[in-house]
Amino acid sequence: MYSIIVVPPPTTEDERTRTQFRLAPGERLPFGRSVPEGGLLIGHDGVSRRAGEITAHGVFWTLSNLSAHQTYVVENPEGAGEHIKVAPGRLDAPVPFEFSRIVLPAAGDLLPLEVWAPRHDYLRAEDGTDGEPTAPAFSVDRTKRYFAVLAALCEPRLRGTPHAPLPTVEQVVERLRPGWPAASRTSVQWNIDYLAVKLRLKPGPETAEAGTRLNGKKESLVAMALRFDLVREDDLVVLSAPPRRVIR
Amino acid sequence: MTEPYAVPVPKGYRVGGWEVRAPIATGAFGSVYEARRVGDEGSGLPRTAALKFLPTGTGTPRQLTHLRELVDREVELHRRLRRPRLVRMYETLVVDDPARPGLDGATVLVLEKAEGSLSALLSAVPRPAGGTALIAQICEGLVQLHRAGWVHGDLKPANVLLMSDGSVRLADFNMAAELEGTHAYTPAFSTPDYTPPELLWSEIGERGRRIRPSADVWAFGVLAHLVLTGSFPLPGGTPTARRDAAAAYARGTEELRLSPELPEAWREIVRACLTRTHAERIGTDALSRRVAAATGKGTGTVASVLPRRARSRRLALAAAAATAAVAALGYGITVRGDGGGPGPGVPGAGSTATNVSAASYGARELRTDKGVPAAYRLLIVETAHDCDRKEVSPPLIAAMLKVESDFDPDLSDPAEDEYGIARWTPKVLRWWMNEDGTPGETVPEPPFPPAESIPAMGRYLCWITPRLDAGLPGDRRVLIAVAYRTSYDKVNDAGGVPPKYRDYADRVAHHLKEYTPPGRT
Repeated sequence: MYSIIVVPPPTTEDERTRTQFRLAPGERLPFGRSVPEGGLLIGHDGVSRRAGEITAHGVFWTLSNLSAHQTYVVENPEGAGEHIKVAPGRLDAPVPFEFSRIVLPAAGDLLPLEVWAPRHDYLRAEDGTDGEPTAPAFSVDRTKRYFAVLAALCEPRLRGTPHAPLPTVEQVVERLRPGWPAASRTSVQWNIDYLAVKLRLKPGPETAEAGTRLNGKKESLVAMALRFDLVREDDLVVLSAPPRRVIR
Repeated sequence: MTEPYAVPVPKGYRVGGWEVRAPIATGAFGSVYEARRVGDEGSGLPRTAALKFLPTGTGTPRQLTHLRELVDREVELHRRLRRPRLVRMYETLVVDDPARPGLDGATVLVLEKAEGSLSALLSAVPRPAGGTALIAQICEGLVQLHRAGWVHGDLKPANVLLMSDGSVRLADFNMAAELEGTHAYTPAFSTPDYTPPELLWSEIGERGRRIRPSADVWAFGVLAHLVLTGSFPLPGGTPTARRDAAAAYARGTEELRLSPELPEAWREIVRACLTRTHAERIGTDALSRRVAAATGKGTGTVASVLPRRARSRRLALAAAAATAAVAALGYGITVRGDGGGPGPGVPGAGSTATNVSAASYGARELRTDKGVPAAYRLLIVETAHDCDRKEVSPPLIAAMLKVESDFDPDLSDPAEDEYGIARWTPKVLRWWMNEDGTPGETVPEPPFPPAESIPAMGRYLCWITPRLDAGLPGDRRVLIAVAYRTSYDKVNDAGGVPPKYRDYADRVAHHLKEYTPPGRT
């Protein structure tokens, strides 16, 4: 029932296996150089012992800056420089981004701490005539990169035959590069992983090898997106224009 | 993805044997219109119905691949399940009209027409009295659905319909799913305020969301709290805030604080529905017993002779009229006056309600001066209303009881193996004893009180009616009575009343005429 995911800063030894913290609404995650058990330990001398605290709400989260002198900046990595500043001592500042990077200044280093808020809701049914709307379980932002990735994955099946083979990650990178010059294998893969979290994909039985798992994940994402009309043929326009400039 | 999508259908448009009248509602998947039957084809259909248009055609501007699946779910449920507390579907039609690409290929569900929905009723000020009776009937609907092995998946006020007689029907089965073992798979849609915490942000597989009947039980708890207090059980000013509160409650960081307005008898029921985990939640059968007990309170001793269904129906009538059912005899029955009465959705607004006693219950349909015992009038009238065949009328049931037993509830005839007011043979009664249409687990043993005998008789008569050949000579109602005494096969084979049963038939015909009010047939 988690609604917020915190991804700790990378450390050299476990770059590939960073533990994610999944927080349910109301849960708090303290972070710093010396935190109580269950908190997020950041082993860097430039970070305060109690540096701050993240509190999860349903669709957003709040940041408390417990340091004495440092201002924290929370960036929206897909927001073209969009950011907010949280001054020292500020408690429970709400953060509105779906993806955020808290940048912790630490004695000359900048440590990125990522926070995802995958439960953001977007405009949907208002069957205004009679009572509350029956809402779909998914809510996607058609301006985000993950949507472009999903559209690229679905494209062959939307345009061609229902059983067309899925594009490889490399093909997706090529397909998206015109509108997203920085696209890379890693960033596309990151978005596929994020989509699996966002759409709450049930892990399939095929979790044995890395290769098949990846394939299974893409298959499941596409099957679900097409079944629930998350991506329709009209949406493929996101592939022909820079994702940022799509008019909703 | 699911913007409300109105299917525009002009007034006067003909589809099948129906003519479209005023629009009723538009939801996320289509539009509902009032319709009236034109022409006589398809007799047995009501004069008015609600037509649900779902844009499944290929020419519609919006192509939804999953709409087909949602439609199929609803149609499948209606085909396989017919229960008193579930809205009825009479037929499905497909629009064939190439001149209107927006309509061509649309699926049309012809449904029982309601007066309004619980959602409309809840917005009425002041809050209508008699909410407990409505809740009891919603609970009956859930029991009927769950016993048949289905989960509703989207129980909320807008999907609870109120009929013109004040009774309740569950509707909108787009999310309904048949259980596979302990789970069912439903499309990934839900209404946040009625979604149990374990399904908030639950994992979703390619087959959809896995849900259990306990999801409906949670929704029922929310609904009961809402009807009885006017507020949601979880705090918050928006569905999102309440969803967070539900999540915090499920995690154990918050307690459940029910409204102080919630009557004591209902606190434990609502609590048993709104448990943190699905495993702790009360089962549907246990829930229905508690609801029946809570609803039965204060209705007096007469209540005990009435079956649960009739009792709650009576209270529902009271609810519809928004007046308390109080009378000196404890028979306090309030019915809506003749004609249209209060407007849809706001029963009681016009206050055409009249208070009648048991002795005159259903007087428009069953004469009060010909010796039908007052104690059985309610059962007789309501049993007849539960059957949508016009032949199965209060006078017919009364006439049959008169001929079978002279209204003797204690009749015992071991020589013929027949017992009670309706002269049931135990091994036959077994097939009709349960309200939900399932046979009894064992052959029941007498005594068979009227509260069981009469509704069972109604169910059997309702089943017989369509099985009698068309064109048999004589009064069809009398033929139904004879088929009850012998069997519909024997009546069909004999091409009418078999000679052996002429005397029985004559007596039923005599009392039928006697009990029918003047001016009615």
